[in-house]
Amino acid sequence: MQNALVPVKTDDTHNELIQLVSFNLDQEEYGVDVLKVREIIRMPIVTRVPNTPQYVEGVINLRGKVVPIICMRKKFGLIEPENDKQTRIMVMDMDGELMGFIVDAVSEVIRISGSEIQPSPAMVAGGIDQECIAGVINQADRLLVLLNLEKMFSRDEKNLFTGM
Amino acid sequence: MPPIDCEDQELLDGFLAETTELLEKLDDDLIALEKASDDTDLMNRIFRSIHTIKGASSFLGFDLLVKVAHKTEDVLNRLRKGELVVNPEIMDVILEATDLVKLLVSDIKAGEIQERETEGTISKLLPFLTDTAVASPAAAAVPPPSSEPVSAPGDTASAPVTPRAAEPATAPDSSSAPPPAAPSVPATKPAADAAPKKAPAPPKPTDGKGDDLSDNTTVRVDVKRLDDLMNQVGELVLERNRMIQINQDLQQSDVNRTDFNEEFGKLTKRMSFVTSELQMQVLKMRMIPVEKVFKKFPRIVRSMSRDLGKEVELLIVGEETELDRSVVDEIGDPLIHLIRNAMDHGLETPEERLAAGKSRGGTLVLAAVHEGNQIIISIKDDGRGIDTERVGRKAIEKGLITEEQFAAMGQREVFDLLFLPGFSTKEKATDLSGRGVGMDVVKTNIKKLNGLIEIKSTKELGSEFILRLPLTLAIIQSLLVEVEGEIYSIPLSSVLETIRVDQRKFHLIGGQEVLKLRDIVLPLIRLQKVFNVQPRSEENDFCYVVVVGAAEKRMGLVVTRLVGQQEVAIKSLGNYLANIPGIAGSTILGDGRVALIIDPVAMSEVCE
Repeated sequence: MQNALVPVKTDDTHNELIQLVSFNLDQEEYGVDVLKVREIIRMPIVTRVPNTPQYVEGVINLRGKVVPIICMRKKFGLIEPENDKQTRIMVMDMDGELMGFIVDAVSEVIRISGSEIQPSPAMVAGGIDQECIAGVINQADRLLVLLNLEKMFSRDEKNLFTGM
Repeated sequence: MPPIDCEDQELLDGFLAETTELLEKLDDDLIALEKASDDTDLMNRIFRSIHTIKGASSFLGFDLLVKVAHKTEDVLNRLRKGELVVNPEIMDVILEATDLVKLLVSDIKAGEIQERETEGTISKLLPFLTDTAVASPAAAAVPPPSSEPVSAPGDTASAPVTPRAAEPATAPDSSSAPPPAAPSVPATKPAADAAPKKAPAPPKPTDGKGDDLSDNTTVRVDVKRLDDLMNQVGELVLERNRMIQINQDLQQSDVNRTDFNEEFGKLTKRMSFVTSELQMQVLKMRMIPVEKVFKKFPRIVRSMSRDLGKEVELLIVGEETELDRSVVDEIGDPLIHLIRNAMDHGLETPEERLAAGKSRGGTLVLAAVHEGNQIIISIKDDGRGIDTERVGRKAIEKGLITEEQFAAMGQREVFDLLFLPGFSTKEKATDLSGRGVGMDVVKTNIKKLNGLIEIKSTKELGSEFILRLPLTLAIIQSLLVEVEGEIYSIPLSSVLETIRVDQRKFHLIGGQEVLKLRDIVLPLIRLQKVFNVQPRSEENDFCYVVVVGAAEKRMGLVVTRLVGQQEVAIKSLGNYLANIPGIAGSTILGDGRVALIIDPVAMSEVCE
């Protein structure tokens, strides 16, 4: 149990290269596994869905598929700026279901080796749930928070989500 | 590797498909045979079915199956030759054997052959195979020399030649006059004593389309339908090419605006024509006759009437009515409950019926018809009807309502009590009914299908349960409404009417807004409040009320504006947003935006 928060996967593939998509959210940089990202789109018209947690922005039409949209800023308890030209929706594959996340900007795809991932420090500030932080990547010129979005909604939260 | 050691998987699949089909038909035929025991064609068909099953399973080496099928075949053979006479006891055993065959087949299908106890059933079949069988209880139950022609040669096994010759000759004779045939099926079933009404389910030739309810993963489609579909798709491709062409022309700007408009207008028309044709075609492919569900009911009614000691004739009307397979799958359970209720609560015993001046046997009519884009299924009995007084008393007893409430209730409200979970007028729960679950199941399933239930009942004359169901679940007609700028869609199947009213006409009863609509008091739900829509500044005295019905409830949804009627394809909101109260799903509008579909049923619960 040296670092329970790091996914098991990184233990096996310790020195394998992982590709991450990095995105920005309120000054900080985050990364998610590139294989989970289906596509990155600009903000379309979002239809509000009533009686959902406030971080659920609504649903969009993604070429005939209806996809729920989560506002990352609201979810992480950050202040919410106006959407601008940089704002993007990252459509991710969450356990076989598509879900979109609104982020400030998507920057690039980076490669890192598994060994670079460190467990997140015990005290993480702000409202980000510890659960979904898979680790941090500390490079000379940048600090990247590795997210595991599938863990973002705890079991209780999923129920709350659907059972409200 | 499947545990069944079969050389050829394809062969096995073929066997399973064929056998399943045969077995389904068999049940139906056997029940029909009991009513028309002298129908040689029917008899032969039954015999052939079981023979085919036996042959195929012995070829594939399913020994248990062969054994059961073989004995059943033997009994049927004797029936066919006229050495035995069809009577309820024999039918019971044969039906039991058929069930066993089904069980064994399903084992094979599951890929695991289990040791099943077959001896019990086989030993029940054996008595009918000895020569003395004629003198067994079966024959004893046959009343003194009936005029029934087939039974006559049957009684004397020593004359095995005559029956074959006699049967075809007698068939037309007795089918034209069913009443004399009645005594041959004694005691429990003087079959059609209530005049020769249309004989139940005249065995139709198998039309071969989608004959396997048990296996819903594959569909059989008429090749012609498939060809039509291909043609439609071909046309669609042409139109697409045309569209690309028009677009190119426009890009190169060698067309003027009016030409483009005209061309594009034409294209739009053709496109919409082709797509709606295509939609119809695909819809048709998903359609299966409601017969799939109906055909298991004769069997259920038969066994129930025997268990309850009631005489019931089941008439099935409109079994060829087609509806979407998703709906067909869902209505089986509710119908079984309604039939059980009718048999158990509705219809009386022969003695009670005679005392009430009715014929001995009750009639249960199961009918299906199309009406617009709905299918209406009704279950009607001529039993004692619903006793509103008794229902009310029981509800008070159970503390579901108070005396005063009951006093103020109309017939309709009293009938609604039947749908409350846990409600039952039965003193004791039996195998069949009385746990108060049935109607709740009916309500839940019908609600799931966006259907409506209506009850009509007259004391002493019988009851009728009417189910109104949408034809399909994938594409629905819907009413688009605007709630303070947001567009929502309401399934048209549940919309009863729309009215424009002055908000000052709303009344407030105990915090609940209501509207007096003719003779009813309609509870109102403001969608703006339920969905927390930001109200826009403009105040308007007038608003629209959409009156919707969900299962047995009626209510009014208050909206700002009606947008129009549109055919929409239902899209799920995905797992994460699956259970939002009041929302059934979503759809995509012409402009690409998503509109949410309101679930009128859930809406009523949100507000309770």
